[in-house]
Amino acid sequence: MPIPLESNSLKKIYRNKGRTTTAINNFTFSVKDKGVFSLLGRNGSGKTTFVKVSTTQLTPDDGYVRVFGKDVVNDEKELRHMISLVPQESRPFPHMTPYEHVYLFQKMNGKTREESKDRAESVIGLLGMEDFAKVECVNLSGGQKQLTMVAMALSLDAQIYFLDEPTIGLDIITRKRVWNAINKYRNAGKSIFLTTHYLDEAAILSDEIGIVSHGNFIKQGTLDELRSGLEYDTRVAIRGRTDAKDFEQYGRVYSHERSTVIFTNQENVEKILSDSSVRKERIEIGPVGLDDVFISLVGEDIEVDEN
Amino acid sequence: MIRELYRTITSLTELNGFIPLWRRPIALVAVISTPFSFLFFIYLFGGPSKILIGAIGGILFTIVNASTMLQTDLLFYKLDLKFQQVVASTPINPLIYVFGLATGNIVFTLPGLAIFMGIIVYESHIGVLQILSVIGTLIMTWVIFSMFSFLVSTRVREMRDIWPISVMFSIIFGVVPPIYYSISVLPAPVEYFAYIVPTTWAAILLKGIVIHDFAGVALPALVFLVEMFCVLGFTSQFSDWRHNRS
Repeated sequence: MPIPLESNSLKKIYRNKGRTTTAINNFTFSVKDKGVFSLLGRNGSGKTTFVKVSTTQLTPDDGYVRVFGKDVVNDEKELRHMISLVPQESRPFPHMTPYEHVYLFQKMNGKTREESKDRAESVIGLLGMEDFAKVECVNLSGGQKQLTMVAMALSLDAQIYFLDEPTIGLDIITRKRVWNAINKYRNAGKSIFLTTHYLDEAAILSDEIGIVSHGNFIKQGTLDELRSGLEYDTRVAIRGRTDAKDFEQYGRVYSHERSTVIFTNQENVEKILSDSSVRKERIEIGPVGLDDVFISLVGEDIEVDEN
Repeated sequence: MIRELYRTITSLTELNGFIPLWRRPIALVAVISTPFSFLFFIYLFGGPSKILIGAIGGILFTIVNASTMLQTDLLFYKLDLKFQQVVASTPINPLIYVFGLATGNIVFTLPGLAIFMGIIVYESHIGVLQILSVIGTLIMTWVIFSMFSFLVSTRVREMRDIWPISVMFSIIFGVVPPIYYSISVLPAPVEYFAYIVPTTWAAILLKGIVIHDFAGVALPALVFLVEMFCVLGFTSQFSDWRHNRS
Protein backbone atom coordinates (compact mmCIF):
# COMPACT_ATOMS: atom_id res chain seq x y z
CA MET A 1 0.00 0.00 0.00
CA PRO A 2 1.54 3.34 -1.02
CA ILE A 3 2.09 5.89 1.71
CA PRO A 4 -0.46 8.74 2.02
CA LEU A 5 1.85 11.59 1.07
CA GLU A 6 5.38 12.03 -0.12
CA SER A 7 7.11 15.24 -1.12
CA ASN A 8 10.62 15.22 -2.49
CA SER A 9 12.75 18.33 -3.18
CA LEU A 10 9.58 20.19 -4.01
CA LYS A 11 10.06 23.68 -5.37
CA LYS A 12 7.42 26.15 -6.49
CA ILE A 13 8.08 29.61 -7.83
CA TYR A 14 5.37 32.15 -8.65
CA ARG A 15 6.02 34.36 -11.64
CA ASN A 16 4.04 37.53 -12.09
CA LYS A 17 4.87 40.45 -14.38
CA GLY A 18 8.59 39.70 -14.37
CA ARG A 19 8.72 39.20 -10.60
CA THR A 20 9.45 35.83 -9.11
CA THR A 21 8.61 34.66 -5.62
CA THR A 22 9.82 31.35 -4.29
CA ALA A 23 6.87 30.01 -2.33
CA ILE A 24 8.44 26.59 -1.72
CA ASN A 25 12.17 26.18 -1.81
CA ASN A 26 12.54 22.63 -0.57
CA PHE A 27 9.82 20.47 0.93
CA THR A 28 11.12 16.97 1.50
CA PHE A 29 9.04 14.84 3.83
CA SER A 30 6.65 11.95 3.87
CA VAL A 31 3.51 11.01 5.74
CA LYS A 32 3.93 7.29 6.21
CA ASP A 33 0.75 6.39 8.07
CA LYS A 34 -2.88 7.26 7.72
CA GLY A 35 -4.30 9.65 10.28
CA VAL A 36 -3.97 13.37 10.83
CA PHE A 37 -0.87 15.22 9.67
CA SER A 38 -0.69 18.91 10.51
CA LEU A 39 1.54 21.36 8.72
CA LEU A 40 2.53 24.37 10.79
CA GLY A 41 4.27 27.48 9.65
CA ARG A 42 4.02 31.22 9.70
CA ASN A 43 2.11 33.14 7.04
CA GLY A 44 3.86 32.88 3.69
CA SER A 45 5.87 29.84 4.65
CA GLY A 46 4.47 27.73 1.76
CA LYS A 47 1.65 25.77 3.43
CA THR A 48 -1.14 26.80 1.08
CA THR A 49 1.07 26.47 -1.97
CA PHE A 50 1.85 22.94 -0.88
CA VAL A 51 -1.86 22.17 -0.55
CA LYS A 52 -2.44 23.60 -4.03
CA VAL A 53 0.33 21.48 -5.50
CA SER A 54 -0.94 18.38 -3.71
CA THR A 55 -4.47 18.94 -4.96
CA THR A 56 -3.28 19.28 -8.59
CA GLN A 57 -3.93 23.00 -8.88
CA LEU A 58 -0.33 24.05 -9.27
CA THR A 59 2.50 22.35 -11.09
CA PRO A 60 5.79 22.05 -9.21
CA ASP A 61 8.86 23.71 -10.70
CA ASP A 62 11.04 20.96 -9.36
CA GLY A 63 10.72 17.80 -7.30
CA TYR A 64 7.52 15.83 -6.89
CA VAL A 65 4.55 15.16 -4.66
CA ARG A 66 2.87 11.78 -4.56
CA VAL A 67 -0.44 11.12 -2.88
CA PHE A 68 -1.01 7.43 -2.21
CA GLY A 69 1.61 6.78 -4.84
CA LYS A 70 -0.04 8.99 -7.48
CA ASP A 71 2.09 11.75 -8.87
CA VAL A 72 0.33 15.13 -8.80
CA VAL A 73 1.43 15.86 -12.37
CA ASN A 74 1.49 12.53 -14.18
CA ASP A 75 -1.47 10.88 -12.42
CA GLU A 76 -3.55 13.98 -11.79
CA LYS A 77 -6.80 12.57 -13.19
CA GLU A 78 -6.70 9.46 -10.99
CA LEU A 79 -5.61 11.52 -8.05
CA ARG A 80 -8.65 13.79 -8.21
CA HIS A 81 -10.84 10.80 -7.41
CA MET A 82 -8.93 10.32 -4.15
CA ILE A 83 -8.78 13.81 -2.67
CA SER A 84 -11.03 16.47 -1.20
CA LEU A 85 -10.22 20.07 -0.34
CA VAL A 86 -11.23 22.96 1.87
CA PRO A 87 -9.32 25.89 0.36
CA GLN A 88 -7.98 28.63 2.56
CA GLU A 89 -10.39 31.55 3.01
CA SER A 90 -13.12 29.87 0.99
CA ARG A 91 -16.74 30.94 1.37
CA PRO A 92 -20.10 29.39 0.51
CA PHE A 93 -22.55 30.74 -2.07
CA PRO A 94 -24.56 33.48 -0.33
CA HIS A 95 -27.86 32.48 -1.94
CA MET A 96 -27.67 28.79 -1.02
CA THR A 97 -28.21 26.90 2.21
CA PRO A 98 -25.56 24.62 3.77
CA TYR A 99 -27.74 21.62 2.90
CA GLU A 100 -27.90 22.68 -0.75
CA HIS A 101 -24.12 23.07 -0.82
CA VAL A 102 -23.50 19.52 0.30
CA TYR A 103 -26.38 18.06 -1.72
CA LEU A 104 -25.42 19.78 -4.97
CA PHE A 105 -21.72 19.09 -4.46
CA GLN A 106 -22.56 15.42 -4.22
CA LYS A 107 -24.67 15.56 -7.38
CA MET A 108 -21.94 17.53 -9.10
CA ASN A 109 -19.63 14.63 -8.40
CA GLY A 110 -21.98 12.19 -10.06
CA LYS A 111 -24.07 10.90 -7.16
CA THR A 112 -27.77 10.19 -7.57
CA ARG A 113 -30.43 12.35 -5.95
CA GLU A 114 -31.00 9.77 -3.17
CA GLU A 115 -27.28 9.26 -2.53
CA SER A 116 -26.72 13.02 -2.42
CA LYS A 117 -29.63 13.50 -0.02
CA ASP A 118 -28.43 10.75 2.32
CA ARG A 119 -24.88 12.00 2.29
CA ALA A 120 -25.91 15.60 2.88
CA GLU A 121 -28.05 14.63 5.87
CA SER A 122 -25.30 12.45 7.30
CA VAL A 123 -22.58 15.11 7.09
CA ILE A 124 -24.88 17.86 8.34
CA GLY A 125 -25.64 15.62 11.35
CA LEU A 126 -21.98 14.78 11.88
CA LEU A 127 -21.05 18.45 12.12
CA GLY A 128 -24.11 19.38 14.18
CA MET A 129 -25.41 21.79 11.55
CA GLU A 130 -29.10 20.81 11.69
CA ASP A 131 -30.21 24.14 13.19
CA PHE A 132 -29.03 26.23 10.26
CA ALA A 133 -28.82 23.65 7.47
CA LYS A 134 -31.74 25.21 5.59
CA VAL A 135 -30.87 28.86 6.16
CA GLU A 136 -29.39 30.88 3.29
CA CYS A 137 -25.66 31.35 3.86
CA VAL A 138 -25.96 35.12 3.52
CA ASN A 139 -27.73 35.04 6.91
CA LEU A 140 -25.20 32.78 8.66
CA SER A 141 -22.31 33.69 10.94
CA GLY A 142 -18.72 33.44 9.77
CA GLY A 143 -18.26 30.21 11.69
CA GLN A 144 -21.38 28.61 10.21
CA LYS A 145 -20.21 29.56 6.72
CA GLN A 146 -16.83 28.00 7.37
CA LEU A 147 -18.51 24.88 8.68
CA THR A 148 -20.46 24.69 5.40
CA MET A 149 -17.19 24.55 3.47
CA VAL A 150 -15.88 21.82 5.75
CA ALA A 151 -19.13 19.86 5.32
CA MET A 152 -18.80 20.04 1.53
CA ALA A 153 -15.27 18.68 1.62
CA LEU A 154 -16.06 15.94 4.13
CA SER A 155 -19.06 14.83 2.09
CA LEU A 156 -16.78 13.38 -0.58
CA ASP A 157 -15.63 9.81 -0.14
CA ALA A 158 -11.95 10.69 -0.47
CA GLN A 159 -8.88 8.87 0.78
CA ILE A 160 -7.20 12.06 1.90
CA TYR A 161 -8.77 15.37 2.91
CA PHE A 162 -6.72 18.54 2.50
CA LEU A 163 -8.05 21.06 4.99
CA ASP A 164 -6.32 24.42 4.61
CA GLU A 165 -6.99 26.32 7.82
CA PRO A 166 -10.49 24.87 8.13
CA THR A 167 -11.21 26.19 11.61
CA ILE A 168 -10.11 29.75 11.09
CA GLY A 169 -12.65 32.13 12.58
CA LEU A 170 -14.56 29.41 14.41
CA ASP A 171 -15.39 29.67 18.10
CA ILE A 172 -14.07 26.92 20.35
CA ILE A 173 -17.37 24.99 20.45
CA THR A 174 -17.60 24.92 16.66
CA ARG A 175 -13.91 24.09 16.37
CA LYS A 176 -14.53 21.09 18.59
CA ARG A 177 -17.31 19.93 16.27
CA VAL A 178 -14.84 20.00 13.39
CA TRP A 179 -12.26 18.19 15.54
CA ASN A 180 -14.80 15.47 16.33
CA ALA A 181 -15.56 15.05 12.64
CA ILE A 182 -11.85 14.87 11.83
CA ASN A 183 -11.38 12.25 14.54
CA LYS A 184 -14.25 10.20 13.16
CA TYR A 185 -12.71 10.28 9.69
CA ARG A 186 -9.33 9.34 11.13
CA ASN A 187 -10.90 6.43 13.00
CA ALA A 188 -12.57 5.36 9.75
CA GLY A 189 -9.12 4.95 8.21
CA LYS A 190 -8.98 8.21 6.27
CA SER A 191 -6.02 10.54 6.01
CA ILE A 192 -6.30 14.20 6.85
CA PHE A 193 -3.74 16.80 5.87
CA LEU A 194 -4.34 19.88 7.96
CA THR A 195 -2.78 23.31 7.91
CA THR A 196 -3.51 25.51 10.89
CA HIS A 197 -2.27 28.41 12.93
CA TYR A 198 -3.87 27.01 16.06
CA LEU A 199 -1.09 25.09 17.76
CA ASP A 200 -3.46 23.60 20.34
CA GLU A 201 -5.50 22.20 17.47
CA ALA A 202 -2.45 20.60 15.89
CA ALA A 203 -1.36 19.21 19.27
CA ILE A 204 -4.77 17.71 19.99
CA LEU A 205 -5.58 16.31 16.57
CA SER A 206 -2.34 15.30 14.96
CA ASP A 207 -0.67 11.94 14.76
CA GLU A 208 2.27 13.76 13.25
CA ILE A 209 3.25 17.37 12.79
CA GLY A 210 5.42 19.03 10.18
CA ILE A 211 6.95 22.47 10.57
CA VAL A 212 7.85 24.72 7.66
CA SER A 213 9.55 28.08 7.48
CA HIS A 214 10.38 30.42 4.60
CA GLY A 215 9.56 27.77 1.99
CA ASN A 216 11.63 25.03 3.62
CA PHE A 217 10.45 21.94 5.44
CA ILE A 218 12.19 22.09 8.83
CA LYS A 219 11.12 19.19 10.96
CA GLN A 220 8.52 16.48 11.45
CA GLY A 221 7.50 14.11 14.17
CA THR A 222 4.94 13.33 16.83
CA LEU A 223 4.40 15.98 19.48
CA ASP A 224 6.67 14.06 21.88
CA GLU A 225 9.37 13.67 19.27
CA LEU A 226 9.30 17.37 18.51
CA ARG A 227 9.39 18.24 22.21
CA SER A 228 12.31 15.89 22.86
CA GLY A 229 14.25 17.58 20.10
CA LEU A 230 14.29 20.78 22.08
CA GLU A 231 17.25 21.86 24.18
CA TYR A 232 14.95 22.35 27.18
CA ASP A 233 12.12 20.26 28.57
CA THR A 234 10.44 22.62 31.01
CA ARG A 235 8.77 25.95 30.76
CA VAL A 236 8.63 28.29 33.75
CA ALA A 237 6.36 31.30 33.35
CA ILE A 238 6.47 34.16 35.83
CA ARG A 239 3.72 36.77 35.83
CA GLY A 240 4.58 40.34 36.70
CA ARG A 241 7.80 42.32 36.61
CA THR A 242 11.05 40.39 37.05
CA ASP A 243 14.63 40.89 36.10
CA ALA A 244 15.38 38.54 33.23
CA LYS A 245 19.10 38.58 33.96
CA ASP A 246 18.48 36.66 37.20
CA PHE A 247 17.38 33.62 35.20
CA GLU A 248 19.70 33.61 32.17
CA GLN A 249 21.98 31.06 33.82
CA TYR A 250 19.15 28.47 33.76
CA GLY A 251 18.28 28.53 30.08
CA ARG A 252 16.66 30.69 27.45
CA VAL A 253 14.67 33.62 28.79
CA TYR A 254 11.99 35.70 27.10
CA SER A 255 11.12 38.71 29.17
CA HIS A 256 8.48 41.34 28.79
CA GLU A 257 7.03 44.08 30.90
CA ARG A 258 4.42 41.86 32.50
CA SER A 259 5.86 38.39 32.15
CA THR A 260 8.97 36.29 31.89
CA VAL A 261 9.22 32.84 30.34
CA ILE A 262 12.20 30.62 31.07
CA PHE A 263 12.88 27.54 28.97
CA THR A 264 14.98 25.29 31.11
CA ASN A 265 15.46 21.71 32.23
CA GLN A 266 13.64 19.96 35.06
CA GLU A 267 16.68 19.86 37.34
CA ASN A 268 16.88 23.67 37.34
CA VAL A 269 13.32 24.24 38.49
CA GLU A 270 14.07 23.87 42.20
CA LYS A 271 16.99 26.29 41.89
CA ILE A 272 14.84 28.83 40.09
CA LEU A 273 12.21 28.59 42.78
CA SER A 274 14.69 28.92 45.63
CA ASP A 275 16.76 31.68 44.01
CA SER A 276 13.74 33.66 43.00
CA SER A 277 12.22 36.24 45.22
CA VAL A 278 9.03 35.95 43.20
CA ARG A 279 5.94 34.75 45.01
CA LYS A 280 5.10 31.14 44.18
CA GLU A 281 1.54 31.89 43.04
CA ARG A 282 2.97 33.99 40.22
CA ILE A 283 4.91 31.05 38.83
CA GLU A 284 3.57 28.39 36.46
CA ILE A 285 5.64 25.32 35.65
CA GLY A 286 4.95 22.83 32.88
CA PRO A 287 6.50 20.82 30.08
CA VAL A 288 7.37 22.66 26.88
CA GLY A 289 4.46 22.64 24.45
CA LEU A 290 4.06 22.70 20.73
CA ASP A 291 4.08 26.49 20.75
CA ASP A 292 7.53 26.38 22.34
CA VAL A 293 8.72 23.93 19.71
CA PHE A 294 7.26 26.14 17.02
CA ILE A 295 8.87 29.28 18.39
CA SER A 296 12.22 27.62 18.80
CA LEU A 297 12.16 26.32 15.22
CA VAL A 298 10.64 29.14 13.23
CA GLY A 299 9.92 32.06 15.46
CA GLU A 300 13.20 33.43 16.57
CA ASP A 301 11.80 36.93 16.24
CA ILE A 302 8.40 36.21 17.75
CA GLU A 303 7.66 38.01 20.93
CA VAL A 304 6.41 35.95 23.84
CA ASP A 305 3.50 37.55 25.61
CA GLU A 306 2.00 35.74 28.52
CA ASN A 307 -1.06 37.96 28.54
CA MET B 1 -20.72 8.20 -17.43
CA ILE B 2 -23.42 10.09 -19.35
CA ARG B 3 -25.67 10.05 -16.30
CA GLU B 4 -22.87 11.40 -14.10
CA LEU B 5 -22.20 14.17 -16.61
CA TYR B 6 -25.90 14.98 -16.65
CA ARG B 7 -25.92 15.20 -12.84
CA THR B 8 -22.87 17.46 -12.86
CA ILE B 9 -24.41 19.81 -15.41
CA THR B 10 -27.85 19.94 -13.81
CA SER B 11 -26.45 20.57 -10.35
CA LEU B 12 -24.37 23.47 -11.66
CA THR B 13 -27.40 24.77 -13.55
CA GLU B 14 -29.40 24.60 -10.35
CA LEU B 15 -26.62 26.36 -8.43
CA ASN B 16 -26.20 29.21 -10.93
CA GLY B 17 -29.69 29.38 -12.40
CA PHE B 18 -32.75 28.00 -10.67
CA ILE B 19 -31.79 28.62 -7.03
CA PRO B 20 -30.70 32.27 -7.47
CA LEU B 21 -33.65 32.92 -9.77
CA TRP B 22 -36.06 31.46 -7.23
CA ARG B 23 -34.55 33.47 -4.38
CA ARG B 24 -33.72 36.70 -6.29
CA PRO B 25 -36.19 36.97 -9.19
CA ILE B 26 -35.34 40.66 -9.57
CA ALA B 27 -32.21 39.56 -11.49
CA LEU B 28 -34.54 38.57 -14.32
CA VAL B 29 -35.33 42.21 -14.93
CA ALA B 30 -31.64 43.16 -15.08
CA VAL B 31 -30.91 40.61 -17.80
CA ILE B 32 -33.73 41.50 -20.16
CA SER B 33 -34.20 45.21 -19.50
CA THR B 34 -31.59 46.44 -22.00
CA PRO B 35 -32.79 44.52 -25.09
CA PHE B 36 -36.39 45.42 -24.32
CA SER B 37 -35.38 49.08 -23.95
CA PHE B 38 -33.71 48.89 -27.38
CA LEU B 39 -36.86 47.33 -28.81
CA PHE B 40 -38.95 50.11 -27.30
CA PHE B 41 -36.79 52.84 -28.84
CA ILE B 42 -36.67 51.08 -32.19
CA TYR B 43 -40.45 50.93 -32.19
CA LEU B 44 -40.65 54.56 -31.08
CA PHE B 45 -38.38 55.94 -33.79
CA GLY B 46 -38.72 53.30 -36.53
CA GLY B 47 -42.36 52.44 -36.26
CA PRO B 48 -44.04 49.00 -36.37
CA SER B 49 -42.09 47.98 -39.49
CA LYS B 50 -38.87 47.86 -37.47
CA ILE B 51 -40.25 45.63 -34.72
CA LEU B 52 -38.90 42.49 -36.38
CA ILE B 53 -35.35 43.81 -36.66
CA GLY B 54 -35.62 44.99 -33.05
CA ALA B 55 -36.72 41.53 -31.91
CA ILE B 56 -33.91 39.78 -33.83
CA GLY B 57 -31.43 42.22 -32.32
CA GLY B 58 -33.02 41.74 -28.90
CA ILE B 59 -32.83 37.96 -28.93
CA LEU B 60 -29.20 38.05 -30.02
CA PHE B 61 -28.25 40.81 -27.61
CA THR B 62 -29.89 38.92 -24.73
CA ILE B 63 -27.76 35.84 -25.40
CA VAL B 64 -24.54 37.82 -25.89
CA ASN B 65 -25.20 39.91 -22.80
CA ALA B 66 -26.02 36.93 -20.55
CA SER B 67 -23.02 34.93 -21.78
CA THR B 68 -20.73 37.91 -21.28
CA MET B 69 -22.06 38.42 -17.77
CA LEU B 70 -21.02 34.85 -17.00
CA GLN B 71 -17.44 36.05 -16.63
CA THR B 72 -18.41 38.02 -13.53
CA ASP B 73 -20.00 34.93 -11.96
CA LEU B 74 -17.03 32.75 -12.86
CA LEU B 75 -14.57 35.22 -11.42
CA PHE B 76 -16.60 35.68 -8.23
CA TYR B 77 -16.70 31.91 -7.74
CA LYS B 78 -12.98 31.69 -8.40
CA LEU B 79 -11.59 34.64 -6.44
CA ASP B 80 -14.09 35.36 -3.70
CA LEU B 81 -15.59 31.97 -2.93
CA LYS B 82 -12.60 29.82 -4.01
CA PHE B 83 -15.17 27.43 -5.44
CA GLN B 84 -13.10 26.92 -8.58
CA GLN B 85 -10.32 25.49 -6.39
CA VAL B 86 -12.77 23.04 -4.87
CA VAL B 87 -13.98 21.94 -8.29
CA ALA B 88 -10.49 21.88 -9.78
CA SER B 89 -9.44 19.30 -7.20
CA THR B 90 -12.28 16.98 -8.26
CA PRO B 91 -12.58 15.00 -11.51
CA ILE B 92 -15.05 17.56 -12.91
CA ASN B 93 -13.96 18.72 -16.36
CA PRO B 94 -13.58 22.52 -16.67
CA LEU B 95 -15.66 22.66 -19.84
CA ILE B 96 -18.47 20.76 -18.12
CA TYR B 97 -18.19 23.18 -15.21
CA VAL B 98 -18.58 26.17 -17.54
CA PHE B 99 -21.32 24.45 -19.52
CA GLY B 100 -23.31 23.83 -16.33
CA LEU B 101 -22.89 27.37 -15.03
CA ALA B 102 -23.59 28.88 -18.47
CA THR B 103 -26.79 26.86 -18.70
CA GLY B 104 -27.72 28.28 -15.31
CA ASN B 105 -27.11 31.77 -16.65
CA ILE B 106 -29.41 31.13 -19.60
CA VAL B 107 -32.24 30.26 -17.21
CA PHE B 108 -32.51 33.98 -16.42
CA THR B 109 -32.95 34.86 -20.09
CA LEU B 110 -35.59 32.26 -20.94
CA PRO B 111 -38.64 34.51 -20.41
CA GLY B 112 -37.04 37.27 -22.50
CA LEU B 113 -36.00 34.84 -25.23
CA ALA B 114 -39.50 33.39 -25.35
CA ILE B 115 -41.04 36.85 -25.80
CA PHE B 116 -38.57 37.84 -28.52
CA MET B 117 -39.07 34.51 -30.28
CA GLY B 118 -42.83 35.01 -30.13
CA ILE B 119 -42.49 38.44 -31.75
CA ILE B 120 -40.17 37.06 -34.45
CA VAL B 121 -42.49 34.19 -35.32
CA TYR B 122 -45.54 36.44 -35.26
CA GLU B 123 -43.95 39.13 -37.44
CA SER B 124 -42.15 36.91 -39.95
CA HIS B 125 -44.36 33.80 -40.09
CA ILE B 126 -41.27 31.57 -40.27
CA GLY B 127 -41.62 27.80 -40.33
CA VAL B 128 -40.30 25.09 -37.99
CA LEU B 129 -37.02 24.69 -39.88
CA GLN B 130 -36.28 28.40 -39.60
CA ILE B 131 -37.23 28.40 -35.90
CA LEU B 132 -34.83 25.52 -35.30
CA SER B 133 -32.12 27.35 -37.25
CA VAL B 134 -32.64 30.45 -35.11
CA ILE B 135 -32.32 28.31 -31.97
CA GLY B 136 -29.18 26.65 -33.39
CA THR B 137 -27.62 30.06 -34.09
CA LEU B 138 -28.43 31.22 -30.57
CA ILE B 139 -26.88 28.08 -29.07
CA MET B 140 -23.70 28.61 -31.08
CA THR B 141 -23.60 32.26 -29.96
CA TRP B 142 -24.05 31.14 -26.36
CA VAL B 143 -21.21 28.60 -26.66
CA ILE B 144 -18.85 31.16 -28.19
CA PHE B 145 -19.42 33.87 -25.60
CA SER B 146 -19.55 31.50 -22.65
CA MET B 147 -16.14 30.22 -23.74
CA PHE B 148 -14.87 33.79 -24.05
CA SER B 149 -16.13 34.45 -20.54
CA PHE B 150 -14.40 31.37 -19.21
CA LEU B 151 -11.15 32.30 -20.91
CA VAL B 152 -11.26 35.81 -19.46
CA SER B 153 -12.22 34.61 -15.98
CA THR B 154 -9.28 32.22 -15.81
CA ARG B 155 -6.87 34.97 -16.79
CA VAL B 156 -8.08 37.83 -14.61
CA ARG B 157 -6.48 37.90 -11.17
CA GLU B 158 -8.52 40.59 -9.43
CA MET B 159 -12.26 41.06 -9.08
CA ARG B 160 -12.13 44.81 -9.75
CA ASP B 161 -10.54 44.20 -13.18
CA ILE B 162 -13.60 42.37 -14.45
CA TRP B 163 -15.98 45.36 -14.42
CA PRO B 164 -14.26 47.36 -17.19
CA ILE B 165 -13.57 44.16 -19.14
CA SER B 166 -17.19 43.14 -18.86
CA VAL B 167 -18.45 46.53 -20.08
CA MET B 168 -15.90 46.56 -22.92
CA PHE B 169 -16.98 43.07 -24.00
CA SER B 170 -20.60 44.07 -23.90
CA ILE B 171 -19.91 47.03 -26.22
CA ILE B 172 -17.56 45.19 -28.60
CA PHE B 173 -19.70 42.09 -28.88
CA GLY B 174 -23.17 43.43 -28.23
CA VAL B 175 -23.40 47.01 -29.45
CA VAL B 176 -20.81 47.65 -32.19
CA PRO B 177 -21.66 44.60 -34.37
CA PRO B 178 -24.54 45.14 -36.77
CA ILE B 179 -27.19 43.55 -34.63
CA TYR B 180 -29.75 46.32 -35.00
CA TYR B 181 -28.65 47.63 -38.41
CA SER B 182 -27.11 46.51 -41.69
CA ILE B 183 -23.36 45.98 -41.79
CA SER B 184 -23.18 48.04 -44.99
CA VAL B 185 -23.80 51.28 -43.07
CA LEU B 186 -20.48 50.92 -41.27
CA PRO B 187 -17.43 52.81 -42.60
CA ALA B 188 -14.92 50.51 -44.35
CA PRO B 189 -12.32 49.96 -41.56
CA VAL B 190 -15.01 49.35 -38.94
CA GLU B 191 -16.80 47.02 -41.35
CA TYR B 192 -13.66 44.87 -41.69
CA PHE B 193 -13.30 44.80 -37.91
CA ALA B 194 -16.96 43.87 -37.53
CA TYR B 195 -16.42 40.78 -39.68
CA ILE B 196 -13.99 39.44 -37.08
CA VAL B 197 -16.56 39.70 -34.31
CA PRO B 198 -18.67 36.51 -34.01
CA THR B 199 -21.80 38.52 -33.23
CA THR B 200 -21.70 39.94 -36.75
CA TRP B 201 -21.99 36.47 -38.26
CA ALA B 202 -24.71 35.54 -35.82
CA ALA B 203 -26.62 38.68 -36.82
CA ILE B 204 -26.12 38.00 -40.54
CA LEU B 205 -27.27 34.43 -40.00
CA LEU B 206 -30.37 35.38 -38.02
CA LYS B 207 -31.38 38.08 -40.49
CA GLY B 208 -30.79 35.63 -43.35
CA ILE B 209 -32.93 32.97 -41.70
CA VAL B 210 -35.78 35.26 -40.66
CA ILE B 211 -35.88 38.14 -43.14
CA HIS B 212 -33.78 37.51 -46.22
CA ASP B 213 -32.92 34.37 -48.12
CA PHE B 214 -32.91 31.23 -45.97
CA ALA B 215 -31.10 29.30 -48.71
CA GLY B 216 -28.31 31.87 -48.71
CA VAL B 217 -27.24 31.38 -45.10
CA ALA B 218 -24.93 28.44 -45.79
CA LEU B 219 -21.77 30.56 -46.03
CA PRO B 220 -22.33 32.65 -42.90
CA ALA B 221 -23.36 29.47 -41.07
CA LEU B 222 -20.10 27.83 -42.10
CA VAL B 223 -18.02 30.85 -41.08
CA PHE B 224 -19.85 31.00 -37.74
CA LEU B 225 -19.32 27.29 -37.14
CA VAL B 226 -15.60 27.63 -37.88
CA GLU B 227 -15.43 30.61 -35.52
CA MET B 228 -17.10 28.55 -32.79
CA PHE B 229 -14.58 25.73 -33.09
CA CYS B 230 -11.72 28.26 -33.20
CA VAL B 231 -12.99 29.82 -29.97
CA LEU B 232 -13.32 26.38 -28.36
CA GLY B 233 -9.79 25.45 -29.39
CA PHE B 234 -8.41 28.82 -28.34
CA THR B 235 -10.12 28.56 -24.95
CA SER B 236 -8.92 25.06 -24.20
CA GLN B 237 -5.41 26.11 -25.21
CA PHE B 238 -5.12 29.40 -23.37
CA SER B 239 -7.45 29.19 -20.39
CA ASP B 240 -5.71 28.97 -17.04
CA TRP B 241 -8.18 26.78 -15.18
CA ARG B 242 -5.76 25.61 -12.55
CA HIS B 243 -4.36 28.93 -11.45
CA ASN B 244 -0.79 29.72 -12.49
CA ARG B 245 0.17 26.30 -13.82
CA SER B 246 3.55 27.42 -15.05
